[in-house]
Amino acid sequence: MGAMDDSNTDVIQGTLDMLILKTLSLEPMHGFGIARRVEQISRGVFKVNPGSLLTALQRLERAGLLDAEWRQTTNSRRAKFYTLTRAGTKRLEVETADWTRRASAIARLLRTEG
Amino acid sequence: MWRQVTYGLRSLFHRSRRDQDVAEEVEQYFEEATTDWRSRGLSPEQAKRAARLESGNLTTVQEQVRSYGWENAITSFIGDLRFALRQLWKHPLFAATAILTLALGIGANTAIFTVVQSVLLAPLPYEDGGRIAVLNTRWTNSGHTIPRVTGPDAGDVRDQASGFEAVSLYSGGSLGVQLRDHAVFTGWAGVDSNFARVFRLHPIAGRVFTNADAHRAVMISEQFARDNFGNAQAALGQTIQVENEPLQITGILPGSFDFPNKTQVWEAYPLRPESQSRTAFNYKAVGRLQPGVTFQAAQAGLDGISHRLEIAYPVDNAHKQILLLPLQQALTGETRPTLLLLWATVALILLIACVNVTHPQLVRSMDRQQELAIRQALGSSRRQVMQPVVLESLLISLIGGVCGVGLAIPGLHGLLAIAPEKLPRATEIHLNGWVLAFTLGLSLATTLVSALLPARRAANVNPADALKQDGARGLSRPGASLLRDGLVVAEVTATFVLAVGAGLLLHTMANLLTRDLGFESRQLLVVEADAPAHSEQDAQRVVRQYDELFVQLAALPGVEHVAGIMGLPTGSYGSNGYYSVSGGPPVDHDHAPWANWSVASPGYFQTMDIPLKRGRDFSSGDLDGSQFVAVISESVARQSFGNSDPVGRQIRCGLDSDKWMTVIGVVGDVRQESPAEKPGPTLYMPMSQHPFYANQIHMVLRTQVQPVSLINAVREKIVQTNPEIALRFTTMDAMVNQSMTTERFRAALVSSFAGVGLLLATLGVYGTMAYSVTQRTFEIGIRMAFGAEKGDILRKVLGHAAMLAGWGIALGLLMSLGLARMITSMLVGVSPLDPLSLGIASVVLLIAATAAAFGPGWKATHVNPMVALRAE
Repeated sequence: MGAMDDSNTDVIQGTLDMLILKTLSLEPMHGFGIARRVEQISRGVFKVNPGSLLTALQRLERAGLLDAEWRQTTNSRRAKFYTLTRAGTKRLEVETADWTRRASAIARLLRTEG
Repeated sequence: MWRQVTYGLRSLFHRSRRDQDVAEEVEQYFEEATTDWRSRGLSPEQAKRAARLESGNLTTVQEQVRSYGWENAITSFIGDLRFALRQLWKHPLFAATAILTLALGIGANTAIFTVVQSVLLAPLPYEDGGRIAVLNTRWTNSGHTIPRVTGPDAGDVRDQASGFEAVSLYSGGSLGVQLRDHAVFTGWAGVDSNFARVFRLHPIAGRVFTNADAHRAVMISEQFARDNFGNAQAALGQTIQVENEPLQITGILPGSFDFPNKTQVWEAYPLRPESQSRTAFNYKAVGRLQPGVTFQAAQAGLDGISHRLEIAYPVDNAHKQILLLPLQQALTGETRPTLLLLWATVALILLIACVNVTHPQLVRSMDRQQELAIRQALGSSRRQVMQPVVLESLLISLIGGVCGVGLAIPGLHGLLAIAPEKLPRATEIHLNGWVLAFTLGLSLATTLVSALLPARRAANVNPADALKQDGARGLSRPGASLLRDGLVVAEVTATFVLAVGAGLLLHTMANLLTRDLGFESRQLLVVEADAPAHSEQDAQRVVRQYDELFVQLAALPGVEHVAGIMGLPTGSYGSNGYYSVSGGPPVDHDHAPWANWSVASPGYFQTMDIPLKRGRDFSSGDLDGSQFVAVISESVARQSFGNSDPVGRQIRCGLDSDKWMTVIGVVGDVRQESPAEKPGPTLYMPMSQHPFYANQIHMVLRTQVQPVSLINAVREKIVQTNPEIALRFTTMDAMVNQSMTTERFRAALVSSFAGVGLLLATLGVYGTMAYSVTQRTFEIGIRMAFGAEKGDILRKVLGHAAMLAGWGIALGLLMSLGLARMITSMLVGVSPLDPLSLGIASVVLLIAATAAAFGPGWKATHVNPMVALRAE
């Protein structure tokens, strides 16, 4: 049970949850689907490592933000699909607002400094 | 939150399903990744590699995902616990010995702590009992304190002291109570109406008496009501008699209340004390502090009153101080040293037990050094290496603790069976939550003590070093054997201290048993008799009746002599005080001569075999109207008459009159309270001249047959003469024995604990020696191959054991010197540095240690060099 101390800082600390929630707000998805989608939308800026991702999914599920269900994929394999719950939707709104506020604050700061 | 719990529990109980779920999800993730790469045009092989490159190792990811969740900590704990259990199961001898050892240690501690907790620590079983105080009288010039007060002094406290809710005066003892057709001996107390306020008494039937009920009402205990009237309701309103005074039962108190000292009958006394003398300490007093008033504040108030009284009564109250003591302290103060001694004793036992358990664990952790080293080398953390070792210890301690409680319950019964009757609050002693918490704490503490050393050693293993060592070939770290030797020395030290304590107390007991008491206690039947008497005529009639009875009883077959006495040695009656002689040297008030006062019938000295040294015994001619006479013991003669003949001289004391008495004879001294006491001065006066002190007496019968075989015949004779006389039978031997119960209790307990300690220490030395011989088999093989004699090998092993014992004894001697102060007050005729006890303890330990090493030593001499050198 060695801890994974991967140094690829693929995702900014603390934003993984938000990215997952955002991704799932579009449609239910399985683990790999989420990883690919995050990568695609961010145009390769964010790389998601499966260990962290699947652990985060468990955490969000236990926190009641996601529901999970085994379903058939498009190429007819079984996969665990995650759906946003109502609590998840609410959390995403809060986090998005929060993030936007902070990001714009930082942007302002950087501008005045520059 | 709810999901956290339910999901965690679900995965805890359906571990495999969750594991599979995770495994599948991760596998599926990798498959999708591979498919994704293939769809971008890679070959199946290339796609697989690309997925691996991108996502890492599949198993590692599974591990990572699986380790999420609080339930994993529990799972790993359970895993270690299983491992520890398996380890114990695989070493049943070690496990059984360790558990039994700790069970003994913890059991002894639990039993003693139960007594300590119930007697010394638990609050008194009275409503808000922490605010009840006892009034004592103390003389500031000598520091002498007695648990009694005079009537007027206590009355002044009641009237003047602020800070008290109520102050109650009482006096009590054991006396005969006359019921309708018979008389019974019972615990009795005369108490004023404040008594019920001090103790906040709530009768289960009837009411508490008021001041108007004085000398007319009693309260009795539920027990007394059941024994004599059937039940509480039937007893209510009935009349009983005490000293010919008819008293109506107005209230029944719950069976749990028996203050003071097993009282069952409480007679109403007036609030205004009848004795108005400031030098007659006829009363005891208790008070209840008002809420918020501290003992200190109340004492300060009392000091002011004491001071005013000293000025108002400069003679009677000179240096007199009324001293406040919490009731709990007053009740248990005398027992405290004994209980603390026992507590210290069992603490030593536990220490020995811990050492005994530490050693094999240390040995096993050393044997496992290589395994542990490998685990560390493979990346286990310090905690992961220590956890199983500590857990194993914890299991042993907890099982040992449970078994210990199992042992403590019968142990406690045995202990109470031999406990002195004086042990306060004996009925309140029982196992309770506090005791169990103490035992649990003790188990955890033993775990810490016995596991920390081995666990730390396990964690501190340097893999490189450990793998180079080979215990079986004697190639181990030099520190290891020193540590084990240290444990043996500690064990011997603790056992030595126990053995010395046991030796001293047993020596004390032997001294007491062989002491000349000043009288012959064998073949002596004792009848405690109380005939009711209220007026002087009553009392004189009783004395005449007793005199007739002595003659009749002496005529019974098997009876040699009969006499009566108020103040029998080791008995419950008696008086004492200062006396003066006419024509003697001027009396120094601070050092006035003092003696026990006894009231006897003619023939008492002959019956008791107390030698008459000079003059004559009392006779039937010494009557109330004739010249008052007295017989003195040798100490009185020596301290007041020096070398001159005391016969014919005048003496007086404050028993009941200040008439001068003529000394008519001198007899030998006796040990009055118990064999532990020095033979002391006694002043004997005839029953016929002091009838008020002669209705509650001990009859003594010197018999030619077994004393107890005469009980029925004697009872019949007495009841025929007067059925109102309350009777109780015993023998002088039993009374003397009874007076030594505290000493016997201490000696019996401490020596049995010392025995347990010795057994454990012997086992410990054996274990250590056996291990060290096994470990040195290779070395011994080499020595023998080079021509060492068997005798040399044996001598070397025994010598090692003897040396360790020697160190332990030396340290033990030092400790005993330090602890001598604690035990001095419990010794009689023995110095705390008694060479006999110290010598025996040293020899016993030396022999035990060498004997324990003999088996392993013998084994060492049978080492076959060829086998030893070839052995892996």
